[in-house]
Amino acid sequence: MIFTEAKRYYVERRLWERMAATGSVSFTDYFAHLRTDMHDEIQQFVNAFTVNETYFYREDYQLRCLTNDLVQERVSDKQVGESIRIWSAACSTGEEPYSIAMWLLENWPRVDDYFIEIVGSDIDTRALDSARAGTFGNRALMRLSPELIGKYFAELPDERWQIVSQLRDSVSFSFVNLMEPGDTRQHGRFDVIFCRNVLIYFDDASRRLAAENLYENLLPGGFICLGHTESMSRISPLFEARRFADAIVYQRPAGARS
Amino acid sequence: MPLVRKPAQVAAAQPKASFAEVLTGLAAADPEERWRAARAAAELPDSAAALAAALPQETDARIREAMFTSMARIGTRDSIAGMLPTLRSDDAALRTGALDALRSSVIAKQELLPLLLNDPDVDVRILSCELARGLPSDGASRSLCALLDREVEINVCAAAIEVLAEVGNHTALPALARCAQRFPQTAFLTFSIKLATDRITAAGSRD
Repeated sequence: MIFTEAKRYYVERRLWERMAATGSVSFTDYFAHLRTDMHDEIQQFVNAFTVNETYFYREDYQLRCLTNDLVQERVSDKQVGESIRIWSAACSTGEEPYSIAMWLLENWPRVDDYFIEIVGSDIDTRALDSARAGTFGNRALMRLSPELIGKYFAELPDERWQIVSQLRDSVSFSFVNLMEPGDTRQHGRFDVIFCRNVLIYFDDASRRLAAENLYENLLPGGFICLGHTESMSRISPLFEARRFADAIVYQRPAGARS
Repeated sequence: MPLVRKPAQVAAAQPKASFAEVLTGLAAADPEERWRAARAAAELPDSAAALAAALPQETDARIREAMFTSMARIGTRDSIAGMLPTLRSDDAALRTGALDALRSSVIAKQELLPLLLNDPDVDVRILSCELARGLPSDGASRSLCALLDREVEINVCAAAIEVLAEVGNHTALPALARCAQRFPQTAFLTFSIKLATDRITAAGSRD
């Protein structure tokens, strides 16, 4: 991750939080905690610096693209009953993979013809715990209709909502560091990867490495969706840009095997 | 419900490739083997020389990309220096690939940049100005002003001025003025210098 001068306050605030949480009396003291990874401090530090602000049906034009074009193309050479694998590669607290699941169930007429596996991953273990619990505040649900909320959520006290267990049990969550080929390879190959608004936080070298890792996680002909301000063309020559009616996405060339 | 949850897929960890396997892979006819070797090489610092040797022969853009990334990840002086010959390539994709990889290297920016800015090849000097963009403002200004004061090629000066306009600070103003005096007949350079001077001055007044 890269933090410019403009993010000094953001960085300082999180450092102070971790120093307070570990009872460190100085940065040197805290740095010793970090270097020795005392009480899993490196992971706690990573958790403190990740950005988990998101909501359901965010950038839904890509979800329209998913059902109008991407899965249609991916199943063109699959038999009924085969698997479609979709990866939310930086899923934060789970809004994206659950959105994908809900969107497919609501908008793809062929959803019953295939086994659809949705995996959500993140580097923030605290966010992953939250994703597995599937509980959200009102703000995360702001783009959802009352009908969708009624269908897929159970109301909890204090204006909290929980994804119904049937849907919770349909999405698996796992830890991943997109910079570690050993981590990403463990997840296998996917038909579609969502990696939105993540690479913008990486420096150039990290973006290139993450792009190569994600490339290996795509089946030949598979698609990767980035955030609307991101362009894989500026990051890596590995992918081909595909322009669909609803979105521009990036594709691993169908002929590339590795 | 058609959605299925499978146990977390844990592919068997791939054994680390040996140096011999990387060497063989880089020379393989199958591009997929070369790709895997280029990726695996990142874990083997000793493979930097093999990557540097294979790079000019590689014709597949994605494998070149993996080679550059691995050389940058190895990050030793040898692996970074191994990319420098590609800055002289006739292949623009190879030149820009090297430049992108070098941008991420501290060694390239701090140790090799002074040599590159003094390179006898005009095109290398032009490309190297881009590397200075990644330096702190003081360092970029110092390196590029020294270049401006000795440079005789107008296009190299223009490349340096373009970078100074974006990352330079007030310490660059005298060198910019001297450059303007040396090339008074070159309208586009005069324009570039005025633009850079105005930007640096405006940025300084905001600080």
